[in-house]
Amino acid sequence: MSPTPTPEHEKVPPLAELPWYRRLNLLNTTLLIFVLAVIFSGSQIEGNERDLDILKNLGRFLSDFFPPDLSVLKSTGSALIETVEIAILATFFAIIISLIIALGAAQTIGPTWLVFSMRMLLNIIRTIPSLIWAVIAVAAMGANAMAGVAALTLYSTGYLGKFFSEAFESVDMKVARSLRGIGADPLQSFQYGIWPHAKPLIWSHCIWMLEYNIRSASIIGYVGAGGLGLQLHAYQEFHQWDRFATVLCCILIVVTVLDFLSERIRRRIARRDGSNDALSD
Amino acid sequence: MQDKKQEPVLSARGIGLQRGGRWLFRDLDLDLYAGEFLAIVGPSGVGKTTLLSCLCGMLEPSEGSVSFKLSGTSDSKPVELRRHFGIVYQDLQLIPNADLLTNVLCGRLGRFNSLNTLLGFPKKLRQEAYRLLYELGVAENPHKWAKHMSGGEKQRVAAARVLFQKPKIYFADEPVSSLDAYYAGRVLGLLRQEADEKAKPVLCVLHNAEHIQRFADIALSLNQNDPKAHKMRRVRPLNVEAQV
Repeated sequence: MSPTPTPEHEKVPPLAELPWYRRLNLLNTTLLIFVLAVIFSGSQIEGNERDLDILKNLGRFLSDFFPPDLSVLKSTGSALIETVEIAILATFFAIIISLIIALGAAQTIGPTWLVFSMRMLLNIIRTIPSLIWAVIAVAAMGANAMAGVAALTLYSTGYLGKFFSEAFESVDMKVARSLRGIGADPLQSFQYGIWPHAKPLIWSHCIWMLEYNIRSASIIGYVGAGGLGLQLHAYQEFHQWDRFATVLCCILIVVTVLDFLSERIRRRIARRDGSNDALSD
Repeated sequence: MQDKKQEPVLSARGIGLQRGGRWLFRDLDLDLYAGEFLAIVGPSGVGKTTLLSCLCGMLEPSEGSVSFKLSGTSDSKPVELRRHFGIVYQDLQLIPNADLLTNVLCGRLGRFNSLNTLLGFPKKLRQEAYRLLYELGVAENPHKWAKHMSGGEKQRVAAARVLFQKPKIYFADEPVSSLDAYYAGRVLGLLRQEADEKAKPVLCVLHNAEHIQRFADIALSLNQNDPKAHKMRRVRPLNVEAQV
């Protein structure tokens, strides 16, 4: 039955608009705060009272980059390999450590005291940028690639630990509990009840982390932790910008290829993980 | 029919469950003997799943008690005996991101320690699990993830898992609700076979009157209006072996 239309002669009460403060939900409030913060930060965009021709300076500086000096391609190639190796090893060690920490940090698995302490630990690790970790590692282990591996392992653990624990928490524990019910021990219940659900998400995070670590590994050499950064630092010191440009081009190519591959792989994993959901679940 | 001189495998005395200030059922007594197939029936929302959960120890009844006498075990409380129970959940609780074969194999996890199953299950067991998938018509792609299967196929995998588990007693909550007549008969027939040949009791929530007539020994019907007005009636079983 269709609803009866309001007769024309009947007076429709005026629409009660929401007062302004009722529209201040979290989204609008944070947007407002951000806009205010932008306005207050505007004072930073000021000259340094010296009359610099910024565009001319920039043009002269950038012209030093061209043409890139390809004679250093060979040494750049070996540094690039070292960079990728640092990233691979760091990601591997971080995955192992993060898996252990994440088990304790997942609310659905660990006891409250362990969850709290593991999350605190991960927060502390994440607070420190990779470059600072590299400075610490170089101070402790000397200027070599191993310091780079250690720095990136610690840095990645902060992120992967958080991502993995969230992946474990996203798993519906009913299956794991029902496996425990039929006599499976905790490890079996994890292996068959939790791990299969979390695995695609975890692997996707690992690939992302590897990609991220290759970017980071090119920078940490600046403080002596091996890889391309060391070379970049040297060319910068001697103002060899054409050589600097060659290294940058190599980094650009590797990162672009990796970004493309990583995105495709992660998308395929997500698609396999989620396909036919609407039909079968 | 069972010999009443033997002790009941499952014995419930005066059980009742209150939810939201309303009694779903009260004063329910039940004795289930080895090899008996009990169908729990009643309209939707009457409390059939809740009753099954109380009987298998997943839910504590508000009053009364449930005890078991299972061969080879000294425990009598359902919580302690859970590993001997084969349960088909209404929402199946399959592992969505594991293949069908692994889902079936997981039925027997309780028989192994984690070291034995760390790298997978023995080949002989895999073949045995595959046979069950084959019998229930879901063997076409045993390496496909459960989440990619249809509702009916998942239900057959859940049935295969519980049969593979070889429990001492079966609890099945609408195990054939998404199946066509052929596979519904096949699943219930296999459960009936477990009752007949291995003297295992089966408790099954069923809606279909024909299934109750064909497979059940006893039908316990719950009443929506009166929590005490549950009825137990003997159903004459047909010869189901020919249909398996």
